[in-house]
Amino acid sequence: MDTCLLAGTIILKSGGETYRTEETMTWIAEAAGMDDVNSSATPTSVILSFRCQGQDHTRMVRTPKRTTNLNKITLVNDVSRRFVSGGITLSEAYGRLREIDQMKPIYPKWMQHMAAALTSGAFSMLAGGSWLDLGPSALAGLTVNLSMEYFEKFVRMKFFTEFSAALFGGLISLLFVTLFPQLHMSILIIGAMLPLFPGIAITNSLRDLMAGDLVAGVSRGVEAMLTAVSVAVATAITLWFRG
Amino acid sequence: MLLKGLALSLVSSTAWCILFNVPVRTILAGGMAGMIGWLVFSTLPMLGAEVLLSTLVSASVVSLLSQILSIFLRVPSTNFSVAGIIPLVPGSLAYKSMLAFVNNDYMGGITLATQTMMVAGAIASGLILGISVFTIWRGARHAGKRTQRN
Repeated sequence: MDTCLLAGTIILKSGGETYRTEETMTWIAEAAGMDDVNSSATPTSVILSFRCQGQDHTRMVRTPKRTTNLNKITLVNDVSRRFVSGGITLSEAYGRLREIDQMKPIYPKWMQHMAAALTSGAFSMLAGGSWLDLGPSALAGLTVNLSMEYFEKFVRMKFFTEFSAALFGGLISLLFVTLFPQLHMSILIIGAMLPLFPGIAITNSLRDLMAGDLVAGVSRGVEAMLTAVSVAVATAITLWFRG
Repeated sequence: MLLKGLALSLVSSTAWCILFNVPVRTILAGGMAGMIGWLVFSTLPMLGAEVLLSTLVSASVVSLLSQILSIFLRVPSTNFSVAGIIPLVPGSLAYKSMLAFVNNDYMGGITLATQTMMVAGAIASGLILGISVFTIWRGARHAGKRTQRN
């Protein structure tokens, strides 16, 4: 029971699809010899029930905090596959899952910020910028990512965090354009907003919808749309400042 | 020009992989998925396709590629498809529509916003198309094996 729920919670906390959560829990429980296994996951909670020696067991876990860590999903997937195929025992699998749960992100913080800067800079050039636009838009992307991390500590609301981060990124690019008029405002803004693009929400929502999990798919889709709207409003405010 | 675009899409997809904590051994594959997606996206207009069609085709190529890679590397396919669609994001369209709204050009804004939505929809349906094609292919292969065995 604990093993199944731990596996499910890790997948959900790390930004996995709900259908993957449900399937993993069901496989582990069935491989452990439980009957009548049923699992249900929404983006914020996991419910598992099964029958063991004539007794019904049901438990539910909530996952309030969610991040994106695809490495953990891959590792949990690996553990469950090995357990189901009989490579490791239940207690070994549980120990391994505990390790994965405590694991820090594989890339240090500075590397993630650098990656945000790099992806912003490269995308702004892909959108038609010149070499001159590379540096400023990388800096703007870095600002967006840094301010997002900073605001997350104080603000509980995810969308307000994204909104303020986008606003900061927009203001930085406005500053650059005012200082160096040969830069392009459009290119800088496009690059700066890229770290906020809700890629994982969109892909997960589509995959959940395709797997027939309508509730999770729609709620993830709404999450992606709210993020997009908050970024758009922040961009509009920046443009309005410019006059 | 083409080489520059290829290098840039590779860099931005790879960096996006790092941002999402993708396992180390699959980073480069994610970047490659993004690069091939951008290659398709930029070569199709030369053959006379419009933006929507080329977005749709390249998104489905990315999706199909990430399913195939996920089998070879034995990791969930999300690892690749998330990074792969990055070069296809309609950033400049979205920006132009916000600019039009701020300048009180509501008609232009709505037109551009609709175009943005349609490109986003093309990415989404491309991803779905890739998944479904792959599912059908796998189902057909399993069915073939079953008939062989029996």
